[in-house]
Amino acid sequence: MPASERSLRTRVVDAAYSPITSSLVIAFVVVGVIILLSGSNPLSAYSEMWSGATSGSGPKTVVNRAVPIVGMALAISIPFRMGIINLGAEGQMVLGGLAAALTAIYMPGPGPLVIVTAFAAGSLTGIAWALLPALGQTKLRLPILITSLLLNVPAKALASYLVQYFFRDPSATSTATVPIPDNAHIPTPALLGEASLSSLLVVGVVVAVWLYNTRTVAGYESRVSGVNLRFSRYGGVDVDRQTIRSMVACGAIAGGVGAHLILGQAFRFVDNDLAGTGFAWTGLLVTLLAMHRAWPIMWAGVFFAALQVGGLAMQRSAGVSWQLAQVLQAMVILALALRIVLVKRRSAADEPEEPPGDRTLADSAATLTGAPTSHAPGANG
Amino acid sequence: MFDQLFDAALIDSIVRASIPILLAAIGGLICERAGVFQISLEGMMLLGAFTGVAVSYATGNAYLGVLAAMVAGALTSLLLAFGNVTRGGDPIVIGVAINLFAVGLTGFLLPQLFDVRGVFRDPAIAGLGQFSIPGLSELPIVGDALFRLTIPGYVAFLLVPLTWVLLFRTPTGLRLRGVGERRVAAQTLGVPVTGFQYSAVVVSGLLAGLAGAQLALGNVVQFAENMSAGRGWIAVVAVLLGRAHPFGVLGAGLLFGSAEALGFRLQGNGLAVQITDALPWVITLAALVIARKRFIRLNDLTAANT
Repeated sequence: MPASERSLRTRVVDAAYSPITSSLVIAFVVVGVIILLSGSNPLSAYSEMWSGATSGSGPKTVVNRAVPIVGMALAISIPFRMGIINLGAEGQMVLGGLAAALTAIYMPGPGPLVIVTAFAAGSLTGIAWALLPALGQTKLRLPILITSLLLNVPAKALASYLVQYFFRDPSATSTATVPIPDNAHIPTPALLGEASLSSLLVVGVVVAVWLYNTRTVAGYESRVSGVNLRFSRYGGVDVDRQTIRSMVACGAIAGGVGAHLILGQAFRFVDNDLAGTGFAWTGLLVTLLAMHRAWPIMWAGVFFAALQVGGLAMQRSAGVSWQLAQVLQAMVILALALRIVLVKRRSAADEPEEPPGDRTLADSAATLTGAPTSHAPGANG
Repeated sequence: MFDQLFDAALIDSIVRASIPILLAAIGGLICERAGVFQISLEGMMLLGAFTGVAVSYATGNAYLGVLAAMVAGALTSLLLAFGNVTRGGDPIVIGVAINLFAVGLTGFLLPQLFDVRGVFRDPAIAGLGQFSIPGLSELPIVGDALFRLTIPGYVAFLLVPLTWVLLFRTPTGLRLRGVGERRVAAQTLGVPVTGFQYSAVVVSGLLAGLAGAQLALGNVVQFAENMSAGRGWIAVVAVLLGRAHPFGVLGAGLLFGSAEALGFRLQGNGLAVQITDALPWVITLAALVIARKRFIRLNDLTAANT
């Protein structure tokens, strides 16, 4: 039955049965208990969060915060959909941000051209850094899960080193580059309620990823690999090429997010600033919540952005640390992963019982690196 | 220059840096042997460090802190055990969520309970004492490094041979490995698979909590936000590199401890802090590249079995 034909009642019932609803309820209740135990009032904390995200400049701030979160979530979702967990998007974002900052500082010319070039530089740098773990997996059979994570600290250190010894603004108190010229700032048009123009760009990326996932052969093959790698390989999918392609896409978007954070927010590269945001980790949680689908990523990203903005407001007014928002986010995903449902559907057919965890480090690594399995002769034809 | 780099003090700091990684990695290897992919070591270590400091501060007794840290780690590990073993959830997703949960929770509780941000340091936090083994600790060069440790330090090094004996010389170890290697076969023979997997995960929680206590009450006496700083992840890599073998993991743990200690030392010698920060991670990557042939063979074996 097409979605449009379902009655409102069915939809409401579906939503109540949805594991996502259960996870949200559980997360808010558990975190409420934590707030209570730590000596504050959960109800006033939550209401401060709500008003902080929805009133005054809240919505604008939420949109601006959602831009990098949705961007990072989209980036991570592309390899994740084919079963590759890239924990290195942070490094790709930081180096992309640095490349964009340097482009904007040193490139002469009209603002729009500088902005476009800076984004290109950011994306290319992100791609270059993402290719390291991708090639490590396809050529050396090292799992991306591990190598991409290990590359984060070297990426941050490299950016910090370059800024401190080659591009440092001597007049700045912290390790930072000089500010980028005013004409390279991303505009915040009144039409968007003074939210960054990048928000439109992100919606564009959502559409692109959605089209890629649902309307292209490569997107379909990605999904097949994510569900069953052996089947996909048996069907003739070149998994190595697919790995490289999805990591390139991931690096390009993550590097672009870095560029946005410099040209749209910080206006200079400050050491440790980009990594300190935790956007890569929030993005990972968002894509998990949205199950790697493009439009749900947008809504989930806006939701998590609202949690964070509300959390910051709550810290100012109720004196409860904003990191509560982080706890909430992780708790939602935890409840979802633990498959706790509050209301069970009567017909048990919906939720097939999967065999309990058989996944070990070794065979995860084997599936992740695509260790040799039986190739069918002629399956490539 | 090498005279300055390698001396008794360096060996001492290598041993100290290796202890938390080793403790967490032994837990990880037991889980791996039991067929549970354990990547929440980082989060359990951080929660252990926080709980250890909090209880030591409240009671003035470092060992109560250690005990509480282990309980915190074990309780957290139950999330993975329940989620992965009972509910069949993805261990990677659960692990990542636990790690982020730990960062958020400790960051939230630090100002909430102690009214400080970033670092909590207080004379009321009792640290772990070091015990010398008479005679052995007077040995030249290695005496102080190896035989003047905290209790968790001795535990870490004693656990290496003990785990080996448990895994390869006892019926329990045989069953545990059976559960990890051929789950269905183990089940058919009447081995309580779920019980073994739960126990393995809880042991890893106890050990990761202990690692956190050593970090926050032994190596230093304070809690700093996100102070585990990736050591739990390094421990995961140590399990992979050491091929889930106790002595292999010991070697990997010492390698990463050396990288960390050497980084600090080089920093003292005027090398850029960025280079020394990146050093342990680059060495880890290099070790993976060099050892890759070895652990691929293991993968093939495991893949063939499933």
